[in-house]
Amino acid sequence: MNIAESEYVLSIKDVSKSFPGVKALDSVSLDVKRGTVHGIVGENGAGKSTLMKILSGVYQKDSGTIIFDGQIIEHTTPHESMKRGLSIIYQELNLVNTMSVGENIFLGRFKEMKGMRGTHAKAKELLERIGCRINTYKLVSELSVSEKQMVEIAKALSFKSKLIIMDEPSSSLTNEEMAELAKIIRQLKSQAISIIYISHKLDEIFEFCDIVSVMRDGHVIDTKPKSEFSRNELIMKMIGRKIENEYPERPRRIGDTLLEVRSINTRKLHDISFTLRKGEILGLVGLVGSGRTEIVRALYGADKVRGHKIFIEGKPVRIRNPKDAIDAGFGFIPEDRKFQGLVLPFTVESNISMASIPKFTKFGFIKKSIEKNIAEQQIKALSIKTPSSKTVVNSLSGGNQQKCIVGRWLEIAPRIFIMDEPTRGIDVGAKYEIYTLMKEIAEKGGAIILISSELPEVLNMSNRVLTVFEGRITGEFNPETTPADAIMSAALGIDGREI
Amino acid sequence: MVGRSEMQEKKQIVKSARSILKNYLVLVMIAFLVLITAIVEPKFLSGSNLVNIMRQFGPLVMVSLGMTFVIIGGFIDLSVAGTINLVAVVTISLIQPLGQVPALLIGLLLGIVCGALNSVLILTSGALTQAEALFLTFGMSTIYSAFALLYSHGSTMHFWDISASKSIFEAIGSGNIGFFSVSFVLFLIFLGILWIFQSKTAEGRAIYLTGGNKTAARLSGIGIYRSIVEIYVICGFMAAVGAIVLFSRITTAAPVIGAGYETSAILAVVVGGTTLKGGNGSVLRTVMGVLLVVLISNCLDLLGVSSYMQYAVKGAILMLAIWLDNRKQA
Repeated sequence: MNIAESEYVLSIKDVSKSFPGVKALDSVSLDVKRGTVHGIVGENGAGKSTLMKILSGVYQKDSGTIIFDGQIIEHTTPHESMKRGLSIIYQELNLVNTMSVGENIFLGRFKEMKGMRGTHAKAKELLERIGCRINTYKLVSELSVSEKQMVEIAKALSFKSKLIIMDEPSSSLTNEEMAELAKIIRQLKSQAISIIYISHKLDEIFEFCDIVSVMRDGHVIDTKPKSEFSRNELIMKMIGRKIENEYPERPRRIGDTLLEVRSINTRKLHDISFTLRKGEILGLVGLVGSGRTEIVRALYGADKVRGHKIFIEGKPVRIRNPKDAIDAGFGFIPEDRKFQGLVLPFTVESNISMASIPKFTKFGFIKKSIEKNIAEQQIKALSIKTPSSKTVVNSLSGGNQQKCIVGRWLEIAPRIFIMDEPTRGIDVGAKYEIYTLMKEIAEKGGAIILISSELPEVLNMSNRVLTVFEGRITGEFNPETTPADAIMSAALGIDGREI
Repeated sequence: MVGRSEMQEKKQIVKSARSILKNYLVLVMIAFLVLITAIVEPKFLSGSNLVNIMRQFGPLVMVSLGMTFVIIGGFIDLSVAGTINLVAVVTISLIQPLGQVPALLIGLLLGIVCGALNSVLILTSGALTQAEALFLTFGMSTIYSAFALLYSHGSTMHFWDISASKSIFEAIGSGNIGFFSVSFVLFLIFLGILWIFQSKTAEGRAIYLTGGNKTAARLSGIGIYRSIVEIYVICGFMAAVGAIVLFSRITTAAPVIGAGYETSAILAVVVGGTTLKGGNGSVLRTVMGVLLVVLISNCLDLLGVSSYMQYAVKGAILMLAIWLDNRKQA
């Protein structure tokens, strides 16, 4: 049989990809039929984006074969794969805001279109094919997000795409815009164009897709027609990994209310109120972009927020900036270790000491011997593996870098410890050490707000869990007694209380 | 096995030789330059030429010391030329009506105000990247220079027009304390103070951390806004000191007296080995950088290289310094 006429537009066989310290894809196989909408679901870090970036040529695979439209693709670049007929529409749209719609669609190909008049005429035609009537002379900066998406789709069509990959296309669309997108997807399908639809949102997956694949930890766990999946099965497959002694026991001595937050409101957050008790680990569960990070940043004074109220042990406190927060007893591990946590070119010592400078300053002068003691004490207490305290922190492993940040805060013994993705990108052993530390902090009467994209981590460490969806708290659960899928559903915006 | 360890040893030696070259490249270049010029042009080591070198060194080193902090903090300040223009004409004009001490103090205060204004504009406009600060301070330089021209009506002011006592300025310009010139002693004092500030105080540490990673520093409770104000105030103040040293030496102040100082100061700081990326560097390195820049221009003068050509050389050196700095990081 001629493979060019195979029923699959795309066949991925045993594709693997490693990054330093992580196996992002582990012999992944996936077939996409012509003229179908193929959904891919999975948690953050499951490998969806890596796979798509390999398809588009942003990354190169380590091994395996990719057959696209009957051709074996070995080495490709984003531009080449586009010309072959494989387009990706990223979450953050790749358009030039200061140029017109038509110019964006045929960027760099005006000559082929015989000048600007031809460009705009052809652009109009393409847009009409997906039932869209945007004036092609309009600047992209004046368009709404969904209109921009249509321009991207028209651009994909202009390359005669056979496969269009949509990466979280709905993340910033309103309901009406979603309906519009649904229409376009049906149109594309009727024109025998295949679509890979990546999303966290199960509603959309069930609405749009014909076939669904679940990815987890760099593997494709299952691929089935949508009708054979139940919602619960899908959720279970997304999150269900075996957890055996990956986590220490939860802290058990929960005391009085330590922190009370009342009505944080920003553009992204709506009426966020919650309490935190002594000795408690409170988990915030939500997708990336749900607002979970914004909540803790607002609380910590990292972002400007007005009008909310914070009480610590019943007393009102004002937190306008991180310094105020630290003085009030907060500690903060930011989500992005390299860009928000560490000063990479600096030594382990100055990275550990940077939150406790007042502790070794007298009359404005730094006492270097005390600073050195502080650093060495933390290195020892956390068994940070580093040649010396003067080693540049950038040369340590991810886990040890993270421990430097933990040590930085332990030095000032915060009562309320915010940890945003404390174990991201670090190995299992270091993870367990950080979990143990969290437990110790809580048992000494501190309290922790934990954010993690790894659901099992939050569920196994927290005493209580709040789910966050689209800037709102959608539920409160006891993770010991609530099944994980119920919590996941609430975090996905499906009814917060029950399934 | 033996072969391998030998190779490693060799590698180690090459590596340490490289690191010496990297760290002391400026010193090596200075020594090389002095040697070559002294051989080619014996006048180089004459007393009058050495005095000449010291005179060029004086104003530039003051400005460059201030610039060092701005660059360590991850920013840049192109406004020093304008600040120097303004401080010079204002200070010299006030000696007659107010007396020399008030004139001096007002001049220094003006430098502080210019620097503070820069930082306030940077903070309120949110121009928190080096590139934005570059354009913002460039704009401020134009404004300060324009004020200098408006204030002086474009005319040059001379010491000989001043009948009031101007002994302080004369001392700064040409006086000696023992073996050293007054301006050199002033340089040593400022160097000492700024070095202590840089390496011994919490404020100095905050500046390094701000330059190293603003976001991480802020989230760790460092007052990065305060650091940004400090670096620009220091830079403005030192520019004012540089202005006073400069017009005291040449006994006149034209409203364009500071032209070119911003680039020379940045050149000196970067050539000295303080990285433009921020978070790294030292006033001591800057002194080396200034020495090298001044020596190069002196040598080129002595060798009869045209001043147009000298601009090209200066530009090339700056490129080279940035190139080497980037290679070092990679």
